[in-house]
Amino acid sequence: MIDWGFAVKILFFGLSAVFSSLALLIGAIYAFGKILKHIEEKSN
Amino acid sequence: MLDMVLTTGVAHLTIGNLVMWLIAFFFIYLAITKNYEPLLLVPIGFGILMVNLPLTYLMEEGEGLLWRFYHYGLEWEIIPPLIFLGLGAMTDFGPMIANPKTLILGAGAQFGVYVAFFGALILGFKIPEACSIGIIGGADGPTTIYTTVHLAPHLLGATAVAAYSYMSLVPIIQPPIMRLLTTEKERKIKMRQLRPVSKREKILFPLVTVLVICLIVPASAPLMAMFMLGNLFKECGVVKRLSDAASNELMNIVTILLGVSVGATMSAERFLKWEVIFVFIMGLVAFAFSTAAGIVLAKFMNLFTKEKINPLIGSAGVSAVPMAARVSQVMGSKADPKNFLLMHAMGPNVAGVIGTVVAAGVFLALAG
Repeated sequence: MIDWGFAVKILFFGLSAVFSSLALLIGAIYAFGKILKHIEEKSN
Repeated sequence: MLDMVLTTGVAHLTIGNLVMWLIAFFFIYLAITKNYEPLLLVPIGFGILMVNLPLTYLMEEGEGLLWRFYHYGLEWEIIPPLIFLGLGAMTDFGPMIANPKTLILGAGAQFGVYVAFFGALILGFKIPEACSIGIIGGADGPTTIYTTVHLAPHLLGATAVAAYSYMSLVPIIQPPIMRLLTTEKERKIKMRQLRPVSKREKILFPLVTVLVICLIVPASAPLMAMFMLGNLFKECGVVKRLSDAASNELMNIVTILLGVSVGATMSAERFLKWEVIFVFIMGLVAFAFSTAAGIVLAKFMNLFTKEKINPLIGSAGVSAVPMAARVSQVMGSKADPKNFLLMHAMGPNVAGVIGTVVAAGVFLALAG
């Protein structure tokens, strides 16, 4: 007997984790890109 | 005389062994003549041949040579993380850092994983088995193997071969779906040249990624940490020897052990079952849906972004690095010979690897 409730939970957590972690990564890339640019401009 | 004959393997051959030999020869034939994933299909094919030789006891628990490869290499989680170390040392994340939006396409291409997961459940597979089948849609061989060894080791041969077969068939599977879901005008969309990415950004990327991903999905750490360590070796520029070793010698050694170990799980009694056919069917479904989801998501993003994305790069969100990106490039240049999509498609392509590892981490955390 398949626990469909558990399967839906896996779907929900799975998609949330994939999208949220990659969205956070996008934010992090933009953030450290800006910080590095700022540092490089200052040092120049 | 009869006793002597009975000590030979010939007397113990079964029809199943012969069928598996044919499958082994077919894989080796595909690898040599068609160049389909030869680095894996040759050792997998030979592994199948070896494990289906009667009385050799190569997969005998605690004794057989192949069992040792399988047990210490795969069951002890050594080989897939080492493959990821090598992949990291060979991967350039520059195109993705230059255009981080494309990470979303790598996430979108994981939809197929869940379509196949539910498809497998409907076909009667248990939840851990369905997770192992679904992850084929990520088109990432080592992640598929890592997940299956944990959740459904009896399906390892089928899921690994399905993943690698479909990865090698990307140029055949994806183009019809790409044509179906895009218009000629969309295929001609030209994307702006990517900005140059500084060395500092490339060095920071693996450090930031390992923190972000492993904090959110700790179960993905063995693969993700090694992936990013390999990439740090490559980008930091001070450990060239380690980077070379990870991407060449070490990668080659673990690829041999991986291929032979996977082939060794495909004995006649384990592989010749109806459920294996279902694994292959659901794997194809996963692959097709992942391709389609990436394209549809790219079109959806175009509704909100100023700079249009060519939807063809969405299909590269299935990992299959760099084959899927090359398919995007070929399809784009067919629509307009001046269209160069390869570097743009590399962004979702490597993002797909990260997305698949995260999806696998969630499967392992919840169903393991």
